[in-house]
Amino acid sequence: MNLSRRHLLKLGGAALAGASMAPAVARAQTPKRGGTLAIRTWDPPHFDPFQTISYKTHIALSFTHSRLLKHKAGPSVVPGTFPVEGDLAESWTQPNETTYVFKLRRGVKWHNKPPVNGRELTADDVVFSVNHFLTVKGNANAYMLKAVDKVEATDKYTVKFTLKEPFVWFLDMISNPHAVAIVAKEVVEKYGDLKKPESVIGTGPWMLDSYRPNVGLSYVRNPNYFIQGLPYIDRVEATVDEDNASRMAAFLSGKYDLGWEFPGTVNRVDWVQIKDTLKQKRPKLQTVEFPSPVMSHISMRTDQKPFSDVRVRQAMSMAIDRKAIIEAVLEGVGAMNPAVPAALKEWSIPFDKLGEGAKYYKYDPAEAKKLLAAAGYPNGFPGTMCFTTYGSTILVDTMQLVQKDLKNVGIDVKIDQKEYGAYIATCFYGKFDSMTFGPQTGFLEPDNFLFGQYFPEELKNQSHINDPVVADMLKNQRRTADPAKRREIIYDIQRHLAKQQYYVQMPSGIYIAVWEGAVKNYGPNMGYDYGGRLMAAWLDR
Amino acid sequence: MLRRYLVKRLLIAIPSLLIASLIVFTLPRLIPGDVVVLMLQEKAYAKDLDELRAKLGLDRPLPVQYVEWLGKVARGDLGESLWTKRPVIDEIGQRLPVTFELAIFGLCFALLIAIPVGIISAARQDTLSDYLARSLAILGLSVPAFWLATLLIVLPAIWWGWRPVTGFVEFSKDPFGHVTQLLLPAAILGIATGAALMRLTRGMLLEVLRQDYVRTAWAKGLAEGVIVMKHGLRNAVIPVVTLLGTQLPQIIGGTVIIETVFGLPGMSRFLFDAINQRDYPVIQGVNLVVVSLIVAINLTVDALYAVLDPRIRY
Repeated sequence: MNLSRRHLLKLGGAALAGASMAPAVARAQTPKRGGTLAIRTWDPPHFDPFQTISYKTHIALSFTHSRLLKHKAGPSVVPGTFPVEGDLAESWTQPNETTYVFKLRRGVKWHNKPPVNGRELTADDVVFSVNHFLTVKGNANAYMLKAVDKVEATDKYTVKFTLKEPFVWFLDMISNPHAVAIVAKEVVEKYGDLKKPESVIGTGPWMLDSYRPNVGLSYVRNPNYFIQGLPYIDRVEATVDEDNASRMAAFLSGKYDLGWEFPGTVNRVDWVQIKDTLKQKRPKLQTVEFPSPVMSHISMRTDQKPFSDVRVRQAMSMAIDRKAIIEAVLEGVGAMNPAVPAALKEWSIPFDKLGEGAKYYKYDPAEAKKLLAAAGYPNGFPGTMCFTTYGSTILVDTMQLVQKDLKNVGIDVKIDQKEYGAYIATCFYGKFDSMTFGPQTGFLEPDNFLFGQYFPEELKNQSHINDPVVADMLKNQRRTADPAKRREIIYDIQRHLAKQQYYVQMPSGIYIAVWEGAVKNYGPNMGYDYGGRLMAAWLDR
Repeated sequence: MLRRYLVKRLLIAIPSLLIASLIVFTLPRLIPGDVVVLMLQEKAYAKDLDELRAKLGLDRPLPVQYVEWLGKVARGDLGESLWTKRPVIDEIGQRLPVTFELAIFGLCFALLIAIPVGIISAARQDTLSDYLARSLAILGLSVPAFWLATLLIVLPAIWWGWRPVTGFVEFSKDPFGHVTQLLLPAAILGIATGAALMRLTRGMLLEVLRQDYVRTAWAKGLAEGVIVMKHGLRNAVIPVVTLLGTQLPQIIGGTVIIETVFGLPGMSRFLFDAINQRDYPVIQGVNLVVVSLIVAINLTVDALYAVLDPRIRY
């Protein structure tokens, strides 16, 4: 990569293609069948996609399960964009605002394992999976399809969804790798749930061959995969590797074909240390950089004093020196985020279009103090900040800088550090008295960032926001089918939110996606869909 | 006499185990906040709170729960893992050998270094080899295992492109690979213990070598090897065995980090994961096994005293 830090910062949210990337060459070659791809993975807590939001489970199942639709993958897709294409669905239509009809591919076979033994997938399987997703207790992702009123099989290969109200993100939601994995009823009935490795039976490009707890997962090519000739890669060996030094050394010595961190990346802190060595040891490595959708923010009780005063919130945002955070904890390379993270380049508003609210993202402690004084807090105020480390030094360092910046304008923050589980059960869902600081899930579409966090009474409305203007705009964007018009509404929402500062957003890091040059036709992107991104990749060892 | 002593020690071990089991059982229940609520929200281990409480046996009075749990434990039933949904005893059975092997290898490594170096250091007191051995022992005691492990994994990869021995090779698939993968982690695990044992061996041996009967042995014209090994070492080694008894639990504790760093699917890492997953049946089960192991080790050490020194009969 020949881009300076300054250049990256200037570009902000733009996804940056690596200089060494050569998709045209990759396409020109004839794909080869065979070989084993080695990656680092995480030990899944279990294998039931409807019982966990854990990326560890969803990544593991991205190799084995299909969805109705999926995100297009490959070198031609710009990271940070998620074009939708058919997976099990061959085509789909939308007869009216609340009806979607999907025509399934014919001849799709389940993995040849009991109890399904390779039988054909039908519309009933899709209906069962969607209903199971919506009704099974403990599915924290069920909100993604909250708009669905009913789903029915109109014939063996046709599935009809009826929504309660227009929801233009519906197709994006069902394409998302952590939404509905299509599972077989017999498997759920046989095992009670899908937690055991024996229940990993899908229609995806690979089949789970073995799972050794704390050691790894092996996948073998599904010979009956519904796209003829795919996948090209015969085996995927996913190693559970919990120690960073061990992962780094393994990568240096060529053990892994993709970067060892999610989603196939290398942490910048590590990258800076090893990039020169890598140039010698693995000269064919390819890289692409793009901003991470994971964004931390300060949430606060906007329904209570002092945070109910907009001037206090604006002051807090102006007190934060975001550039210093980028310099100190992100190795000088980061992306500034409005309400929709810069990573979602189609939806995140560029700062030069943010208007009046843009000034609240600028570091200006003097102005912050003035705003606090105008709000009746000339000497600031004390507060507590709920926090958990997530085991991340970056997060801990950022928290300390935030605390220091707020102290500089008189806001004396006492950190209330909680154990991870306690944090998720309380502060993450808005159960706190003063403030909370922490990262948010790196969603792939703006609605999750906006509706979930800003609509009244939503589970993740951590700041307890009840703003009728925002609520109207949020409902409106969900009904606006035309992407250009919808983008304008989403830009307007971000402009409004910039002035309101219900959450004080922090900058995100820039991912460095890294992969071995022998892995052809691979294009990195965000999200859990490792299997989808590797489905058409092939090895040229 | 020896038998009576051993029976007495065995009888003492029973209340120790009972007290330990009570602590193992009670501690998770003393964690502030309603853990079951957290477990349900985070992990969805059951459909609702009542079901999860019933599943964990928490819907009955505490003494009833304890007696019931103890009864099951006595029958070899440690419950079912909430995480993997497999019997805890099976999970431990699968992982205990890895930790056990690692600990035994670590201990062997410690002894192989400590005893010979300790003897040489004592026999050649205040020579260059003694100074060197003592300095290295201080270093071994000071260097944290995780740091050493990190260096030993990363540096060879950077310098020579060596692939670290991480991941796990099962004995049934590749016996040689299985043993060799344990050597480096075991060596790192054994270094601190080896250093402590070496220093103690040296100190005790020096003390013994100054005894009158050793001087007599020298005067009789016995060979140095016979004096040091036969007359000196056997008498010097009793405190070393005591220390060994206290070091073994430390070695087992150290396996948590080493198993994580080297990707070994042992019991310690399983415990670490179970804590993260709030898998209480597993936490209780593993702790009980560890506590039982430590009681057994202490029992063995006590028995060894009696073998090493016939005067010990308590």
